[in-house]
Amino acid sequence: MKLLKSIVRPNKVDEVKDALTKIGISGMTVTEVRGHGKQKGHTAIYRGKEYNVSLLPKMQIEVVVSDSIADDAIKAIIESARTGEIGDGRVFVLPVGETYKIRTGEKDSV
Amino acid sequence: MSDPAGTSQGPLRQQPATFSTQLDEARRELRDDILRGHGGRAALARFSDRLDTMVRQIFTAAPRTEQPIAVVAIGGYGRRQLCLHSDIDLLVLFAGHLGADEEQALRAILHPLWDVGLVIGHQVREIDEFERLEVDNPEFLMALVDARPVAGDRGLYDRFESAFHHAGTHAHVVGALNALIDERYAFFNSTLYQLEPEVKESPGALRDLTAARWIAALTDPSLLRRGVEDSSRIEEAEDFLLRVRSILHLESKRNQNQLTHQLQEIAADVLGYPGAFPQQRVERLMSDYFRHARIVTRSLTWMRKAAPTPAGVNLGKTSDGIKFIDMRQAAVQPATWLAAFQATVDHSCPVADSALSLMRQYAERFRVEDFFPTPAHRTALLRFLKPAPGLYSRLSEMHDCGLLGRMFPPFQAITYRVVRDFFHKYTVDEHTLLTIRNLERLVAHPPPDRERFSSLLQDLREPELLVLSLLLHDVGKWRDDDHHVESVRMAREMFGRIGLSQEARETVEFLIANHLAMSQVAFRRDTEDPEIVRRFAELVGVEERLKMLCLMTLADVEAVSTETLTPWRAELLWRLYVDTYNHLTLGYGDERIEPNQPGNNALLANHPPDLAEADISRFLEGLPRRYLRLFDNDAIYRHVRLARDIHPDEVHLWMEQRGDAWELTVVTLDKPFLFSNISGVLSSFGMDILRGHAMTSSNGLVLDVFQFADAERFLELNPGAKEQMFSVLNDVVSGKASVTERLRGRERSLFNRRPMRVKPVVHADNTSSKRYTIIDIIADDELGLLYRISRVMSQNGCDVDLVLITTEGRRAIDVFHITKGGRKLSSTEQTELSAHLQHVLEGGYEAA
Repeated sequence: MKLLKSIVRPNKVDEVKDALTKIGISGMTVTEVRGHGKQKGHTAIYRGKEYNVSLLPKMQIEVVVSDSIADDAIKAIIESARTGEIGDGRVFVLPVGETYKIRTGEKDSV
Repeated sequence: MSDPAGTSQGPLRQQPATFSTQLDEARRELRDDILRGHGGRAALARFSDRLDTMVRQIFTAAPRTEQPIAVVAIGGYGRRQLCLHSDIDLLVLFAGHLGADEEQALRAILHPLWDVGLVIGHQVREIDEFERLEVDNPEFLMALVDARPVAGDRGLYDRFESAFHHAGTHAHVVGALNALIDERYAFFNSTLYQLEPEVKESPGALRDLTAARWIAALTDPSLLRRGVEDSSRIEEAEDFLLRVRSILHLESKRNQNQLTHQLQEIAADVLGYPGAFPQQRVERLMSDYFRHARIVTRSLTWMRKAAPTPAGVNLGKTSDGIKFIDMRQAAVQPATWLAAFQATVDHSCPVADSALSLMRQYAERFRVEDFFPTPAHRTALLRFLKPAPGLYSRLSEMHDCGLLGRMFPPFQAITYRVVRDFFHKYTVDEHTLLTIRNLERLVAHPPPDRERFSSLLQDLREPELLVLSLLLHDVGKWRDDDHHVESVRMAREMFGRIGLSQEARETVEFLIANHLAMSQVAFRRDTEDPEIVRRFAELVGVEERLKMLCLMTLADVEAVSTETLTPWRAELLWRLYVDTYNHLTLGYGDERIEPNQPGNNALLANHPPDLAEADISRFLEGLPRRYLRLFDNDAIYRHVRLARDIHPDEVHLWMEQRGDAWELTVVTLDKPFLFSNISGVLSSFGMDILRGHAMTSSNGLVLDVFQFADAERFLELNPGAKEQMFSVLNDVVSGKASVTERLRGRERSLFNRRPMRVKPVVHADNTSSKRYTIIDIIADDELGLLYRISRVMSQNGCDVDLVLITTEGRRAIDVFHITKGGRKLSSTEQTELSAHLQHVLEGGYEAA
């Protein structure tokens, strides 16, 4: 199992969600986050005064998928979230040891 | 009509004998009453009436004047309680300015009274003087409470009454009266049990009685019926005190009011107290005195406790909150109800339960028009809707008692309305009211992360329109689809009923129709794409609407649930605001109106008969496209008329009052120092420029629109002030007069200014516009600021083509689009200009 942790542009969440749904992935966690990567924010000017927008608003989408569809899922995320400009985001892939359903205590067999 | 010379002396010379006889007779009559122990209320009223007759005769004999005069009895004379040697308090009122004729008439009224030896306490006023409260003269204001007309023009007297009797004056007089009572009590060691009391001033004496009556008259007349003491006992006490006072005047032959030991014996005898020895008779007299004095103090103490603070017509502030003074009257006068809620905002207190119950009981009987029957009531509604602490609570109370739905019928449709979705946590009506609470919270002490939004709110010209839009933005949710379209339709039904201006209607419609637009763009679109920002800027058009829509979005999202407006969303919203604001204010100089532009068709097609299409096209050509978003068609046609037949060195001007501010439109042809000269003239008249736009078309036509505050009320108070200002503008623009000369008188305030509150910011930008160097300036707002800034630019050889003037609280935010020799400034020129500006803004003296 893999945990795919994707940081994407806020306006790309719906497209990523749709792309994942298309390949059969429906469960996901979406969080509003702020941060910067290579984009490092930028300087905006408002009424003559510069202010630094160092932490940019982004969305974090987390999904846990089986190893067999991980590559497809990563591809779907990248294709749907890409604009080609700096600031498109990242996908982090983490191994997942075990998962449990809290309601039943049952161990998932993914 | 003036009196021919000499005859005005007639009354002075001929009538003293007559008046003297009359006065002697009146005094003899009063003396007889006093000696019989009957010098109380009835006798003094008769004596006052005799004086009235004399005053009327004197007035009739006085020379006539063209303007009306009224002679008014005030103070003790107004109460018809003149004692034998009391001063006669008179107010002589004039309808207009006092000229020689009026002076002569005044002498002819006062001299005969002086000649017969009366002591006159006279006040002379022009009726307009009552527009402003004489706060430094509380005794005079109190004497006016007892005013009654004696002679002269009744209409003029009525004008005085309506000018004097309103809540603001009443509240002030009651406040001053309470302070004077405390002072007087302190003087007498706060005890009525004086062995030699002053029957006028001591605690429990006549002054207290008058004070109690004034408080009732100024706050709630029904208090007189409801007091702790029976009214017959109070009248009895008054009669006793007056009878004693009359004896004191008679015996001492002057205005002496202290009941000394010696006079106590005489008074006891005159009033027929039994007893073998003087001491026994005196003790009985003084025992009666203290009994009456206690009744008087008890009555006054209760009155001071029970009296509401006047808070409006038929409204008073009590410990329960704002209440109606006369409930029966309130029940049939729904037009006064909104004032009760306004008073709660003004006085920071709730509406009393009794008032809410009354409104709950009767609200259903009335229609919208009953609540807002006149333009003044409709203006009051908009004033009430200005965001202020307490507005949400008041609107909630209005909603709870059923009033909000009667005043705003569309709101009725969403009462208790439940719309199920994943986000909303409250009913539609409560969500709506919470949006207003969220806006209100930006007014006072906003949390640090909301300060930037709070500054937008301070800058809005008509924030009440934003509140009105919020109130109506979701009324269409009574249906399940396209609620913003339905909300607009329902809102339109309200516009006429509350007398909204066309401009205001368009703003409210825009905000309701687009209330979801900004959140959609900010949260769901790629706002780093300049095209997305450009399209959004195109939708909002001008900064005022952008600010309103931004605040509306913030308040709306925050009212969905406590979790909806995350810092993340607030940041996205702010970034879209900044990007759009920059797009609107920095790049607009590059977008000019082209000949035959499609957007102009309606403007050309509906042109008024006195304007040809060609005139309009010629005028528009080369102005920034933004111009068409800033002004409605009527204003544009007016500008076209002003621009007709304009020649070099001429200015065509138009000015009108708009709310608290004035708006001046200037059309002229461009020349060096023009903008600084025009703004300098306004400053030389003491005008504080709040907002404005200055534009130059590509063919050199200049259109400046300034909104300014006239804090010194120069335009309002001086006949011909507008013409004077126009004449000076003409002279300065044509070079016949120097603005520097005119400003010399104001140099102290212009150059020796108070310490800076914020460090001024000067920012030069050569990238946002293709044609212009843009200079942003943020500095303390003060008189003459624009003049000094623009003068420095002209001195540096720059041409000021476009200016945006904004005031946000106490900060001025001005954006100048400038060129030098027809091109942008080089980086050296920018540095020099910025340094020069910074120097001047930081208080450096700029030799003119």
